Amino acid sequence: MTASDVRDWDPGDGRLPTPSTTRSPAWSADVTPRSTAALPPLAPDRDLAAPDWFEVVEHFREGLVVCDADGVVRHVSPVAERLLPEVTPGELLSAAGVPGLSDGDAGGFTHRGRRLTARQVPLSGARCCWYVEDITDSVSRADALLAERARSAFLAVVGDKLGNPLHPDRAAAAVVRLAVPTLAEVAVLVLAPRGGRARWWRASRTDDEVPTVDSGVLAGGDLPTAIADGLTGVEPHAVDWLVEQAVDAGWLPGLAGTESAARVVPLPGRDAPVGVLLVARRAARWYDEADVELARAFAARAGAALTTALLYRDQAEVADTLQASLLPVEPAEAPGVQWGTAYRPAQAGLRIGGDFYGSHRLTDGGSVFFLGDVSGKGVEAAVFTGQLRQCLQALHRLESHPGRLLRLLNDALLETTQAHGQGRFATMVLGVARPQRDGGLTLTLAGGGHLPPLVLRTSGEVESVPLSGMLIGVVPDPRVGEVTVRLAPGETCLLYSDGVTEARGGRRGDEQFGTERLVAAVTGCQRMPAPALAERVEQVTCDWLAHGDHDDIAVLALRAIGPGGRGSRHLHSVPAQPGTDRQRETDA
Amino acid sequence: MTAAMTAVDPTDAYVGYLDCLADADEYAAIDVAIGLLDAGVPAERVLLDLVAPAQAEVGERWARNEWSVAQEHAATHISEQVVAAVAAHANPRPTGGRVVVACMDGEWHALPPRLVAEVLRLRGWQVTFLGASVPAAHLVSYLHRYDAHAVALACALPMRLPHAHRMIEACRRSDVPVVVGGRGFGADGRWARRLGVAWAPNAPAAAELIADERALRGVPPARLTHLADDEYASLVRRRGELIDSALADLRDRVPAARAYSPTQLDATVSDLGHIVDFLAAAVYVDDPSLFTEFVEWLSEILLSRGVPAGAVARPLDHFGVALRDFPRAGRVLALGRAALPAADR
Repeated sequence: MTASDVRDWDPGDGRLPTPSTTRSPAWSADVTPRSTAALPPLAPDRDLAAPDWFEVVEHFREGLVVCDADGVVRHVSPVAERLLPEVTPGELLSAAGVPGLSDGDAGGFTHRGRRLTARQVPLSGARCCWYVEDITDSVSRADALLAERARSAFLAVVGDKLGNPLHPDRAAAAVVRLAVPTLAEVAVLVLAPRGGRARWWRASRTDDEVPTVDSGVLAGGDLPTAIADGLTGVEPHAVDWLVEQAVDAGWLPGLAGTESAARVVPLPGRDAPVGVLLVARRAARWYDEADVELARAFAARAGAALTTALLYRDQAEVADTLQASLLPVEPAEAPGVQWGTAYRPAQAGLRIGGDFYGSHRLTDGGSVFFLGDVSGKGVEAAVFTGQLRQCLQALHRLESHPGRLLRLLNDALLETTQAHGQGRFATMVLGVARPQRDGGLTLTLAGGGHLPPLVLRTSGEVESVPLSGMLIGVVPDPRVGEVTVRLAPGETCLLYSDGVTEARGGRRGDEQFGTERLVAAVTGCQRMPAPALAERVEQVTCDWLAHGDHDDIAVLALRAIGPGGRGSRHLHSVPAQPGTDRQRETDA
Repeated sequence: MTAAMTAVDPTDAYVGYLDCLADADEYAAIDVAIGLLDAGVPAERVLLDLVAPAQAEVGERWARNEWSVAQEHAATHISEQVVAAVAAHANPRPTGGRVVVACMDGEWHALPPRLVAEVLRLRGWQVTFLGASVPAAHLVSYLHRYDAHAVALACALPMRLPHAHRMIEACRRSDVPVVVGGRGFGADGRWARRLGVAWAPNAPAAAELIADERALRGVPPARLTHLADDEYASLVRRRGELIDSALADLRDRVPAARAYSPTQLDATVSDLGHIVDFLAAAVYVDDPSLFTEFVEWLSEILLSRGVPAGAVARPLDHFGVALRDFPRAGRVLALGRAALPAADR
């Protein structure tokens, strides 16, 4: 018997005899023994080392069952005896009734609580040999590894989804949605009660991959004991009755009490738990120690996300309230004037900045209007614009002459900045618009070191208003430029901040937009309504910037539209267009 | 009272309404719309069958060079006022959750999303319209502050798709589902599918999609593995250099280009920038048809403005040479070149 008996499978070097040979030569006949002519005999005890192959084979990890041509078992190795005690030599292998040995298919099967693999190798004379191996340990190791990998992957997804700051309601919905299906078929999150009411979110598994999420509110007193315990930070252990309770309360749609398993894990918060997560699924997948570990790891991440979300909401509420008071207020409606505005702060997320504009009605029918820019950026600059606007709000009641009003403002600001040691200053254009009988406007303008306004004439000409002056808030009694401009009906005056002309863009992103390009952009736009003109200036500036960083951008356009007898009918139904969006946003 | 005011069908009122836009007569335009509402036409039909097609025509007239940019802006402004008046007239009571509607960063075509916003409002959603060119940071901080059921984002120009994608991802990170719309995603929404985001062809479809949260969340993921070749990132890095060299090339070959006025020079730089941006966007979504559609559109626009043939072909040739190490961009350029009208080649 030689290795040539073994077909289809080579056990290794092709020299191994099959176990059915009791006393075979150490080397197969067809293998030429190594020539000893070239080499000196260095191994005189080689014959002694020749192993007893039968003995060796008996100690294979694999058990061997040799059958003859009729399927009668002829040999069973000790390992095979241990794994397959029902296989008896001299009887038909099929009589033993071992499932995995019934046909020629190689593969795994479970026998007497062990995971086995068997493969059949044909031998000479129509005999065959079954190699049977116990793989229980390696399978369970692989399973454990896969399970661990799945848990890590799950937690990575959870970390990814919950790692971003979210709205609290979003975070809660995301927590229950993520728990399904890995942790549960139904997951219920109950947040710690606020004001005696506990909000809950629930995700239930449906046929496809997207779980359905619903939510609601419970009175704090109606919470099951296990949930209430969880909210104090205790993780309940005896939870079997919890399933029935939850099912009875209708918490677990699609799950029956008798055949379900449930667990409760608290979500850690800053001091007390921020909420409690109830996970439930069919009892076919009981919660073992590893599952509970995973649920706890999930709860830790979910708790952190919810805590962050709540913290962020509280902070954002404060910031929003302060922000709203610092946003430019849309100009007050005035007879004969159409206002157009655009505002784009440098820090988009902040939505406030150092540019400002606005208007106030005067008792004589005119309007005082202004646009300016304070030194610095961000919150501090925005706070300063707030002070400045409040000053103007009060001062315009005392003084309606633009030049004198600007000087008053200068003194007031100088006093505040000196008191606070801020050293802030502003540039601005301040004007008074008075409607004329012909539908035009007379603009009296005062300049405080700001860019000169542009005027769009009906002829299509674009004029720069010669307006000079010194910075506001730096020296007492500054030189203030003053000029009067007449706007015929349909003519527009355009005020803008240096965020427009100093916008950097172009080919290399370092060229300033400049006044010439601004003039070119508004040339031919004399028929445009003021809001459209303001938006056009904002748009060409932003196009020039091409997503680059920019300074605060503010635009204020005022157009003489005549007494507007036609328009009054619709004034109630047409919200003031400029800034409708922002208005809605802050109202919301 | 005009004849249009008595019309009871938006399509009958259409011609009169367009005249109001042409005359920049805001109040007459509002009268036409309110007249329809008073005659019992549902507000949604006024918005979608009167305002929307009229606005599309405004865009066409600009493209045919019949209207100036100023006229287009004025007409758009009036349309916005009409939408506001119709919305105020209908004054629906919100019953649903909050939906945020916004234009992508850099995107100024605010009227189509405004119409979507009003249709959603009419259907009971509590809608916040954030307006034109909303920076991603602003949108995200809004979403943190107010829980939104969904975000609807509009993009009219495909060259903004890479930015659009970033914005979509930002919303996703806030765990708010996104629906997108607008011509920027392709006539059939194919680039929305590429970016792995739900797409609606029109306002009613958007409303239906938003009502179906499972459909919103069950979108197949983005297919952007091709970005691993770094061609897009390199194109963006080399944008300035490409424009510079194309301009130099133009001055070498076309003597007239040397005498361009600053305004003409800016316009040329802006056109070259658009070519690079559209090329980069085509490489981003790995679809040459994005670029060929743009090239066809650009040659029509330039033709209607009397720009000589060859104005598009020359920079395409130049970029083809400059980008010979970019196999995907090279293929896009070659296909774009082939799409040019015969006279232009």
